[in-house]
Amino acid sequence: MSNNEDREVILSIKHVDISFDTGNKKKKFVAVKDANFDIYKGETFALVGESGSGKTTLGRAILRINPCSAGEIIFEGKRISGKISREEDRNVVRNIQMIFQDPAASLNERATIEYCVSEGLLNFHLYKDEADRIAKVDKALTDVGLLPEHKSRYPHEFSGGQRQRVGIARAMIMDPKFIVADEPISALDVSIRAQVLNLMNKLKAEKHLTYLFIAHDLSVVRFIADRIAVIHLGEIVEIADSETLFKYPLHPYTVSLLSAVPMPDPIVERTRRHKVYDPSVLDNSGAPRQMYEIRPGHFVYATEKERAQYEEKALAAEQAQGEA
Amino acid sequence: MAEERTPILSAKDVEVKFRVRDRYLTAIRGVSLDLYEGETFAIVGESASGKSVFTKTFTGMLESNGEITNGSVMFHGQDLTKLKTDKDWEGIRGAKISTVFQDPMTSLNPIRTIGSQITEVIEKHQKVSKAEAKEQAINIMERVGIVNAANRFDEYPFQYSGGMRQRIVIAIALSCHPEILICDEPTTALDVTIQAQIIGLIRDLQKELKFTTIYITHDLGVVANVADRVGVMYGGQIVEYGTVEEIFFEPQHPYTWALLSSLPQLGVKGQELSFITGTPPSLFNQIKGDAFAPRNPHALKIDFEQEPPFFKVSDTHYAKTWLLDPRAPKLEKPEVIQDLHKKIEKMTGKGGAFHVE
Amino acid sequence: MEEKSLMEDVKTEERSDLFEFAAFDEHESEHIAAPQYSYWKSVWRTFIKNKFTVAVSIVMIILVLFSLIQPMLSGYSPLIAPHVNEPEMRFLQPSAEHIFGTDNLGNEVWDAVWAGARNSIIISFVCTAITMVIGVVVGAIWGFSKKMDKWMLEVYNVVSNVPFLLLAMILSYVLGAGMGSLIFVMCVTEWIFVAFFIRTQVMIIRDREYNLASKCLGTSTWTMIKNNILPYLISVIMTYVSRQIPALISYEVFLSYMGLGLGVTKASLGRMISIYTSYMNGYPHLFWIPVIVLAILSISLYIVGQRLADAADPRTHM
Repeated sequence: MSNNEDREVILSIKHVDISFDTGNKKKKFVAVKDANFDIYKGETFALVGESGSGKTTLGRAILRINPCSAGEIIFEGKRISGKISREEDRNVVRNIQMIFQDPAASLNERATIEYCVSEGLLNFHLYKDEADRIAKVDKALTDVGLLPEHKSRYPHEFSGGQRQRVGIARAMIMDPKFIVADEPISALDVSIRAQVLNLMNKLKAEKHLTYLFIAHDLSVVRFIADRIAVIHLGEIVEIADSETLFKYPLHPYTVSLLSAVPMPDPIVERTRRHKVYDPSVLDNSGAPRQMYEIRPGHFVYATEKERAQYEEKALAAEQAQGEA
Repeated sequence: MAEERTPILSAKDVEVKFRVRDRYLTAIRGVSLDLYEGETFAIVGESASGKSVFTKTFTGMLESNGEITNGSVMFHGQDLTKLKTDKDWEGIRGAKISTVFQDPMTSLNPIRTIGSQITEVIEKHQKVSKAEAKEQAINIMERVGIVNAANRFDEYPFQYSGGMRQRIVIAIALSCHPEILICDEPTTALDVTIQAQIIGLIRDLQKELKFTTIYITHDLGVVANVADRVGVMYGGQIVEYGTVEEIFFEPQHPYTWALLSSLPQLGVKGQELSFITGTPPSLFNQIKGDAFAPRNPHALKIDFEQEPPFFKVSDTHYAKTWLLDPRAPKLEKPEVIQDLHKKIEKMTGKGGAFHVE
Repeated sequence: MEEKSLMEDVKTEERSDLFEFAAFDEHESEHIAAPQYSYWKSVWRTFIKNKFTVAVSIVMIILVLFSLIQPMLSGYSPLIAPHVNEPEMRFLQPSAEHIFGTDNLGNEVWDAVWAGARNSIIISFVCTAITMVIGVVVGAIWGFSKKMDKWMLEVYNVVSNVPFLLLAMILSYVLGAGMGSLIFVMCVTEWIFVAFFIRTQVMIIRDREYNLASKCLGTSTWTMIKNNILPYLISVIMTYVSRQIPALISYEVFLSYMGLGLGVTKASLGRMISIYTSYMNGYPHLFWIPVIVLAILSISLYIVGQRLADAADPRTHM
């Protein structure tokens, strides 16, 4: 848990705010407030939150789609937010790729799979000759469990799961180091979600990738993530490694999310109660909040007063665990 | 358990076809279902399994290119498949059988107030005065958990959050005290925490108002929470049905196994999650044998030749798979879902990943 | 849910291996059984599937080809009136010898109509080509660039408020009558309406997720317009063309009718209609023949265009 210091940071989000103009000039809509965390090389970092939490906005800021209004984003030691040179921008595109939520909406319906997959190759001319390009497309398709014969097909001829794998192949062909996966399975049928998750895990191991995995559901994340950040209404409320977050959730919002995961067991479900998140249990005195490291690697967004409560809660949980 | 009771609604051998350009798609291929008073029957299946289409025959809401080509749906001695015009359906659709759909925004009119949309339904079906309708509407709004209902009566849908809108849709559906409430993926478009609240709400209301629920979903996790009985649908047919305990703890059909096994809640870190390969069958084609056979790693040769009948597992539990034939080899369900209850108890018990104080 | 009587209706031929496990191939399910999809082939197949469409297309092709070829054979010119001194040749009713009859100068209406139609077709096709090319290119960039949108909207507001007839009068006075100047007059403002239409269409699909995906892959704006935007607009552009061609034919006729179009040296349906209006009482066929030819031409062009636009929409390719 505490060996995070000696791991290499690949991406860091430093006190990032992201806001959007509303119709009203004086009022800005703040989608992300003071996001601050590091992602280590080779890990899967999950960002979990509900709709409107700002998780997609933050993910897209890494890809330079949304500008940061404060703070900065550092990738491999270089700032990639704000104004950067064209060359640096091209570098970001080559190294950071995205997997989209809706495979139907994120593929160009009027282009063949061959074009969809080799779009990045064409833009950067990452091939020796036509034969090499085709070979690379074939390899990318086989890597995701599709067949080279699919090249001449159009996206609408595929099932949702197959389309999502085309989306993954298109990102992987760029040989990126970092992937932002924005709810890559929530638009898919339950029965094939697992296939896409397995594939992402396999590719990660083979290609030494780092993932930022954005999700709205903790049950999926437990299986795939090394560390998890929970985001609520633009604020990151808790960060911990996956096991710790499930075992000792500290922030009441995390507890509420955890209790909302439906379990596939009618007997258990009969007695299980969902804990509705009630912000009034927080310290609402207006005291400033910041990230406190309650245990090594386990951060909670809290006021000074809440921090003491979380310390106690963590201690109590550890004792209970020790007894058991 | 339910055998002595008489069903409130009884569908028999329902077949539904859609005309798509020059071709026919058989969306429902002979489905029967007895629904008993006061129960919650969950229908689970992937997209295009026909779960939604099937229940649309209970309210006459099939798309205009769809047609019930066989079977009957008996409700209070009346065959619902014989009803044709909107006038025939008056007094049943929206009154005795109501539906809550997936997306609350499409069920609500964005340019009319919440209040007027509820009172409209009450006035239409109950013939009461305006003042009385308003009183009833506020009453039902409070019941579905709208705080300060009287003040929010004149607000518009955009002033409500997604979860609140779905509560209003439920309020509208319940405003005429229906006997059957069809919930068609009512929480799929909602966040997980809101989903938990809406499910809880439907359950509480059911206890209080004593209606019968058909709950359509693709999420087995939700089924465990809401259902008394479960029907698993695949390729336009129910392939297995039984009490909720039977379906989760004693599943018999390889498709039910596969669905259960692929739940991410059961995943173990560092190991592969199980999944179903391939895609559901095209219902444009004539399906030979068991529709699931091409995706079924446990398929028998006969599955490709002949459609299996329903085999009886218990008085309440039936499954449509050749694996239950005495001539078939004995096959244990996949490892992931063996001792499911013990596994989940461990997960939700003290020290488990899903344990909540 | 009735239990089907077990075993009884299971009439398996006595094959001993039926209850063995079948072989299972994971990759089998990835194959796509449907035949290869080709966009243009599907457009063509959808287009020719409807018999009415095919019939109208044949009518249209015959009319257009006939208008283009017949005047070359007849050598008709409004300046030459070979029978002007033969009063018995004037105002003849349609007959086997004079298919559409003759006019006030003893000229064949048959020849005059096709020569006029030919000019109308040439002008409208050329104008459509010019306005569509300029309009689509400008509109695509306009829709993509937020900076350009601000000042282009101002230009659009000014241009769309200039009375067209006034502009046409001034321009034809300055440039003189003739085919070239008529084409210029008809195109000079028309392209901006096409551009505005395309701009709106581009803006609708500009922010769709697949364009965001292309951006994340480093695709340039121009490549995106070419590969992501325009292919989606084939159908709406086709619809626009199918309205534009007949509209421009009527435009030409209208301008010529007003005396602002082609000069007296060129055959024109517009001027024919204008002249023949005065013989409406005695010889109504003189008026109706060019009007009907014009109508059939416009309508057939419009229907074929619409049907092509429908066929170009992949939603119809099932």
